[in-house]
Amino acid sequence: MEMTSKQRLLTALKGGVPDRLPVTTHHLQDYFRNTYMDGKTDIEVFDHLGMDAIHWTEPYRPDPSQGEYFDPLQEAPTNPSFSKRIVSDDWCITHEALPDSRYKTIRYTITTPKGNLTTVLQSNEYTTWVTEHLIKEKKDIDIVGEYVTAPKCNVEQVNQEAEAFGERGLVRGTICGFDISGQPGTWQDAAVLVGIEKLILATFDDPDWVHELLGILNGRKEVYIRSLKGAQYDVLELGGGDASTTVISPKLFRKFVAPYDARLIELVHEAGQRIAYHTCGGMMPILEDIAAMEPDAMETFTPPEMGGDARLAEAKQRIGDKVCMIGGFDQYHHFVNSSEEDTRAAVRRRFAEAGEGGGYILSPSDHFFDADANLLAAFADEARQCRYQ
Amino acid sequence: MDEIDEIYEAVLDGDMRATPEYVQAALDAGVSASAILLEGMIAAMNEVGRLFEEDEYFVPEMLIAARAMKAGLSILRPFLVDAGIEPVGKVVLGTVQGDMHDIGKNLVGMMLEGAGFEIVDLGTDVAPAQFVEAVRNGVDILGLSALLTTTLSSMESTIKAIEEAGLRGAVKLMVGGAPVTDGYARKIGADGYAPDASQAATLAISLIA
Ligand code: B12
Repeated sequence: MEMTSKQRLLTALKGGVPDRLPVTTHHLQDYFRNTYMDGKTDIEVFDHLGMDAIHWTEPYRPDPSQGEYFDPLQEAPTNPSFSKRIVSDDWCITHEALPDSRYKTIRYTITTPKGNLTTVLQSNEYTTWVTEHLIKEKKDIDIVGEYVTAPKCNVEQVNQEAEAFGERGLVRGTICGFDISGQPGTWQDAAVLVGIEKLILATFDDPDWVHELLGILNGRKEVYIRSLKGAQYDVLELGGGDASTTVISPKLFRKFVAPYDARLIELVHEAGQRIAYHTCGGMMPILEDIAAMEPDAMETFTPPEMGGDARLAEAKQRIGDKVCMIGGFDQYHHFVNSSEEDTRAAVRRRFAEAGEGGGYILSPSDHFFDADANLLAAFADEARQCRYQ
Repeated sequence: MDEIDEIYEAVLDGDMRATPEYVQAALDAGVSASAILLEGMIAAMNEVGRLFEEDEYFVPEMLIAARAMKAGLSILRPFLVDAGIEPVGKVVLGTVQGDMHDIGKNLVGMMLEGAGFEIVDLGTDVAPAQFVEAVRNGVDILGLSALLTTTLSSMESTIKAIEEAGLRGAVKLMVGGAPVTDGYARKIGADGYAPDASQAATLAISLIA
């Protein structure tokens, strides 16, 4: 019997065998939708290409009893899946545009009773990035620890959206990242705040300070996770590429990543939710370490041609019975400058390597910006023909 | 252990405090600056590169080894100048326009420094005109790094800009970064490509040989 997209994705997510290979993608980039898809919405893109859909949503709510409210100075996020920030009188966020001939450049200032923290973000037509990190001196984390707000999940809104989305696919969220430019994984969040090279060096020079920072960020995420009870999410994302072995060592992963993110995964399960652990970068030396944190799924299995190291068949053998695997597809060589036959053949290879016994969702290994619509359609179509029954 | 071995081990362990101390002790004991550089520090960085290729060292170990080497070099540099030991070549590095990824580029710089090159790092998000300017000022090798598929085109336009400025013959061009391949490097007219920092050092040496 033909499954709905939701049944298919959920079956694979739980490690089971769906009717056919589920096929989806990670976040669709605005640049891609506008340049190649005539500005279609996410769901329109999924429908147009015949993929199993994902609805991303992350609505927050403030806790007025703790003096929290939505940031009145923040313009509404352009992407409807992002929430407005939660601030308080002791954690106020202002922003100003800085003159720059090349990029839109914005300085954010967080004002607290014990001083200000600043960060600068730049953006172009593709994306946004940090050019000045928020945490510049060791003592900055004391301010964060004392005054940072912790968002809570607006469960009612998630559930309304989940009802409306119905059988079309999965409802996906993210473990809250830090304000302004945060990321789900604890280490990943810290890397954005401090700068990854500086953070790596600090693990050697002042490990206690790094643990203190990770603890503060973890605490904030814990509050969010506890508020997730009853939310009809299918899966939430944690992790990030700065915790991959392209960037850090297995040793650092075991000391500074796993203890924190494993704790969050445990709490997520207590809140009745599932986790997809995201590692866009090298994973092979730490496959078992990631699986030992007991996420429900692991992604992105980026192949060597894209800067990762995934050998999908070997990964399937090593951890495929413990977690659902998501990703593994080389979007760089098969969504552009490829032929439909080559793209289809690549889909077949991924199915042969990781499809057996289910528990596998085909997806590009993370983001893509440029993609040929015909190749994407071939990618989705070939996956639809990879049948289990 | 003799003085050189101590320096070698300290760099390999990324010991930023011990390395300059051992360098000073070796100089005090009359070991030549060139032996300290070649047999101590450069040999250690070669080993770091080998361990990295073997997946025994990862980026963090490489970062601290390079930092230790830098600390040692700060003591050694005046003695190298006195002894008339010149860098083997000058390399200008940068991440191309629109791209902020710099870990890979920095490691390449460190390994090249470890191989005896003088490095000028232009940073990230470097416009073609800035690269052209650097080449005009005299350099043996220009190294371009890109990590985003969307910024590979900046790599190509940088090489075009160097050609248009009539400087292509004056410099060797090497390129790298996760999405870059040997084929792509050839297509855009680079002289060489290396998949990682230690092979970048080998490549640079071959380019100026
Ligand atoms: C760390 C990281 C970041 C950090 C960078 C921190 C920093 N200071 O560099 C941060 C968080 C800032 C970041 C930002 C973004 N990133 Co990023 N990032 C990564 C990640 C996880 C690792 C890259 C890395 O540092 N690797 C470690 C180093 C050591 O490896 P390397 O760079 O490849 O370098 C080695 C070789 O390539 C070679 N080499 C490198 N340069 C050169 C130069 C020469 C001359 C030579 C010879 C050799 C050489 O030697 C190096 C050492 O061995 C990759 C994942 C991946 N699979 O690569 C994504 C990745 C590159 N990022 C990606 C994306 C999408 C982004 C963002 C757009 C996301 C966003 N919106 O925030 C922004 C872009 C910002 C911008 N304008 O540049 C995508 C790119 C996808 C694509 N289609 O292009 C990747 C592939 C992740 C993914 N799977 O989606 N990122």
